Amino acid sequence: MVIVEVKQLRKQYPSFALKDISFHLESGRITGFVGRNGAGKTTTIKSMLNMIHPDGGVIRYFDTPFADHEAELKKRIGYSTGTVSWYPRKRIRDIVDIVKRFYDTWDEAAYQKYLELFAIDETKTPLALSEGMKVKVNLMLALAHKAEVLILDEPTSGLDPFSRNELLEIFTELRDQGVTVFFSTHIISDLEKCADDIVYISKGQIFAAMSKPDFIRQYAEAGESLEDTILRLEGGAVHA
Amino acid sequence: MRNVLLKEMRLSASVLSYLFILFGLMFFVPGYPVLCGVFFVTLGIFHSFQSAREANDIVFSALLPIAKRDIVKGKFLFVCLIEGCAFLLMALAVILRMTVFSQSAVYRGNAMMNANLFALGAACVIFGLFNWIFVGGFFKTAYKFGRPFVLFIVVCFTAIFTAEALHHIPGLEKLNAFGTDDIVIQLILLAAGILIFLLLTVLSCRKAWKRFERIDL
Repeated sequence: MVIVEVKQLRKQYPSFALKDISFHLESGRITGFVGRNGAGKTTTIKSMLNMIHPDGGVIRYFDTPFADHEAELKKRIGYSTGTVSWYPRKRIRDIVDIVKRFYDTWDEAAYQKYLELFAIDETKTPLALSEGMKVKVNLMLALAHKAEVLILDEPTSGLDPFSRNELLEIFTELRDQGVTVFFSTHIISDLEKCADDIVYISKGQIFAAMSKPDFIRQYAEAGESLEDTILRLEGGAVHA
Repeated sequence: MRNVLLKEMRLSASVLSYLFILFGLMFFVPGYPVLCGVFFVTLGIFHSFQSAREANDIVFSALLPIAKRDIVKGKFLFVCLIEGCAFLLMALAVILRMTVFSQSAVYRGNAMMNANLFALGAACVIFGLFNWIFVGGFFKTAYKFGRPFVLFIVVCFTAIFTAEALHHIPGLEKLNAFGTDDIVIQLILLAAGILIFLLLTVLSCRKAWKRFERIDL
């Protein structure tokens, strides 16, 4: 079942443009959104959350246009980024105490469970947390309000290999629970480890949006790893 | 909206916003331009905008399950709450100066503007100007607040100077009325000040909604 649909998204900047971005996310699957730095990943994600106003295109969640039902749809979406932290000097507990008031679906038992599972000390401030822990805090907030879709912008950036692996394992567990995970990355090995589907963006255009096996079948040359394939495509063949 | 206001108060606000409410009590100070107290209250609010920006408050709020215009409404509500609390302290000072201390030599011999209902109305106008120039100006970008605040400072002190000077102009002495003298005029001036505050705040809020809808975060 299609959970998220991005259709002909366009955004023009003086020196960069998103050109007719279209893809969809299937229920209960992990989709890796891959592309080099500056390819348009964050702009696309921000557009998907109405933080950036596209010049054209439609974003639909659960078959409902996001623009017309933003507040209610956001209750079913979780967002996280590995690069920004909110209220760095407030205690996690105080932030959570405010956030949970906005969600009638807030599950206190689930919150306590993830607090323990992710080993988060809620008396700490985001300033005192590592990058990996910040991502986990955002994930915990999303999961405690029972987000059905997780949109994660570069969640593995800046993480050590152990934390990255741990996070990718969490994605897999969430996928098994029926959560749809969409995460952007420029680290191709992340896709090899856990992605079911790949959306590959290059220079503001979607080059491929398909399942990982189909991608490999269509683009990989004999003996090539996924990383080698994408590096080769990015190296010149993509828009040639 | 209750939750949005709570978020503003507990996560976005700087403690200085709350402490600087006490500058409303400057309406008790004799021989001092009492409207400067209004400026200090707005300075406290400015600190909240500063700390909120450092905390990525606007982006955080944009991810909450609320409409974008509620973010703007929340900021205006918070600002009005602080202004309202300061107004109550100023009103207390004015009432005491109009009644208990109406004959006090220290206030009667005051060369500066008397803290009467006209002064209270003028305070409302300055709060309204803050909401129009600074808060409205902030939502042009939801990021830059230096220019709107500098502009507000210029306008604010021009307004303070004007209010201080008015009662020295022949024919306008009643603006400096003591106690319940010329109470009808005083009440009309207070009502006018409140009306201007409401008008500037509502118009600024509406304009800010529209601007904020167009901003890329």
